[in-house]
Amino acid sequence: MPEKPHTAAEQPEEGQPDRRDFLSRIGLGACAAAAVGSGLVTLDFLKPKVLFEPATTFRAGSPSDYPDGTVRFNKEQKAYVVGSPGGVYALSAVCTHLGCITRFLSDQSVIACPCHGSRFDLEGNVVEGPAPRPLPWLDVTLDSSGLLVVDTAITVAHGKVFKA
Amino acid sequence: MSALPPIDLVETADPIATPRRVALVRPDRRPSVRTTDEKYVMTFPNLIVREVILFQVVVIGLAVAAILFDAPLEGIANPLETPNPAKAPWYFLGLQELLHYFPPVVAGVLMPLLVVVALVVIPYARINQTAGPLWAGAGPRRALTLAAAGGAVIALFGVFKCWPIVVPTAGTLVAMFAARGGENGGAFRRALAKGTLPEWIMVWFAVVATILTIIGTFFRGPGWSFVWPWAQTVAF
Amino acid sequence: MTTLSLDSVFRRLRATDAYRSIVRHGASATNRNRSLIVFENLFLHVHPVKVREKTLRFTHTYWLGGIALACALILTATGVLLMFYYHPSVPQAYRDMRELEFVVDNGLFLRNMHRWAAHLMVFASFLHMMRVFFHRAYRPPRQFNWVVGVVLLLVTLLLSYTGYLLPWDQLAFWGVSVGTNMAKEAPLIGEKARFLLLGGNIVSENALLRFYVLHCVVLPVALLLLLSVHIWRVRKDGGVQGPPEKPSSREEVR
Repeated sequence: MPEKPHTAAEQPEEGQPDRRDFLSRIGLGACAAAAVGSGLVTLDFLKPKVLFEPATTFRAGSPSDYPDGTVRFNKEQKAYVVGSPGGVYALSAVCTHLGCITRFLSDQSVIACPCHGSRFDLEGNVVEGPAPRPLPWLDVTLDSSGLLVVDTAITVAHGKVFKA
Repeated sequence: MSALPPIDLVETADPIATPRRVALVRPDRRPSVRTTDEKYVMTFPNLIVREVILFQVVVIGLAVAAILFDAPLEGIANPLETPNPAKAPWYFLGLQELLHYFPPVVAGVLMPLLVVVALVVIPYARINQTAGPLWAGAGPRRALTLAAAGGAVIALFGVFKCWPIVVPTAGTLVAMFAARGGENGGAFRRALAKGTLPEWIMVWFAVVATILTIIGTFFRGPGWSFVWPWAQTVAF
Repeated sequence: MTTLSLDSVFRRLRATDAYRSIVRHGASATNRNRSLIVFENLFLHVHPVKVREKTLRFTHTYWLGGIALACALILTATGVLLMFYYHPSVPQAYRDMRELEFVVDNGLFLRNMHRWAAHLMVFASFLHMMRVFFHRAYRPPRQFNWVVGVVLLLVTLLLSYTGYLLPWDQLAFWGVSVGTNMAKEAPLIGEKARFLLLGGNIVSENALLRFYVLHCVVLPVALLLLLSVHIWRVRKDGGVQGPPEKPSSREEVR
């Protein structure tokens, strides 16, 4: 900014800001604050607060429907519900490699992915193929009427079987 | 301004040797004359800062308006149910008001087209370059011509009972005649007396357009009937 | 002053090679640097390096063109943000308007900004045209720029009109119906023009999609191009012209 000559009385010390510098700093600071504020408001605006997506939970029948060795596939929710000696558990049917939907081959007791040849055992562990991780285990609970409820959005520790 | 010097056309391929006349601006047509010492200042910061401030003021003004006033949102569009009245956006309400007096071809197509053509032609019409104040050096013939032309316009629109045009036309005519001999009056009368004919015509157009729009926006209700502004809600 | 003040931090930043590679001029303390700030910037160098001091006054042009331009920028920014939540289909468009009004953070504020900026832009453009007329700033060499300005006014009105339909409420639907029915009255081309504009015989989802494309792509691009020509011509014609100046005593000039 062009400098106006100071009178002797107003001469600022060397390097000290004078009134003009002070006011221009306040002005620029306010602009910076407004810009940051606008950016944050814009970001907040862009994050959807309400999603119109389908529910991630589904009912899977009662625990007595799953004697040891039963494997049921829910196509819409992409999950297997498996009966074992200890109880019932659920596996995600989405291959951990690149997201294709796997299928259960009952004659071989293996879950196979058609895309790149990954194979998983009935506990989700990788047996063969390029899949980097085992199939995630999904949350299984009981609702008030005694029916199993699986939530595909919640993963639980590997091996955590739901005892009815 | 006396006759211009004749143009000597010299055919040559060298653009520097013979300066080409790209645009001739006659001295008697120039709107601004460059005086010998014009004060120039640096664009930055003088102009740039003003532009930034203007932008900020506009943003703040609009933000305040946005906080205080909500944009309208009525029920979902229903092609089977026409609201009464069905109004166009405000800048077309002047035209919609004209529809009340004239058939759609005239009010909806002819008049807007004429307006656009008239606007485009403004810089190329000779009268806009040479016009002096309306009454400067004018004899009684000019008053007669003006009265006749104004009377014809009033009669034409009066036949169609288009009062929103008739009344402003009469008012503008009165003002034009009041400006006569105004060079010796107060500041306002002198300013009025300086008006050229094209400027008076533009004033007439602006007043007519504004009045038509105001009537269409605030004074028209169901069935395009006349209502008082407080008897209806206006949506923008 | 301590060495950690904001001032010294900025000064050190400005001295780095990375900064110097982007900003090639120094601080604006010299006229040379003030010239470079304008001259070396893509967006600013439509301005001359120096301007006539007379043109800076508010009463020179009432900054009406600037107000219209500011509105155009605000409309672009708010419009793009609103596009993230709007589907141009029937009846989803109306649901999206309700969603913006009640669900999305600041949705109502941005929509209001967009609407009022649109009205202000139309109004400021009219006032700007009046100002240019009464200052006789359409005279040579500025004639063509006036014509570009008239076309800009039409583009602005069309932008406002196409945007008016997008909420798909009763006001929008019937407001646009009235307008297209007026257009239908044009002899020879009226019906065909209306059919092309609406993508059909009635105002329907085709009309909504066409108006959406016009409003968000075609007309903004046209506005941008014409505005560039308009502003460039102002510069080339010698800058903004305000009230016609009195001739010096040497010349008799109108």
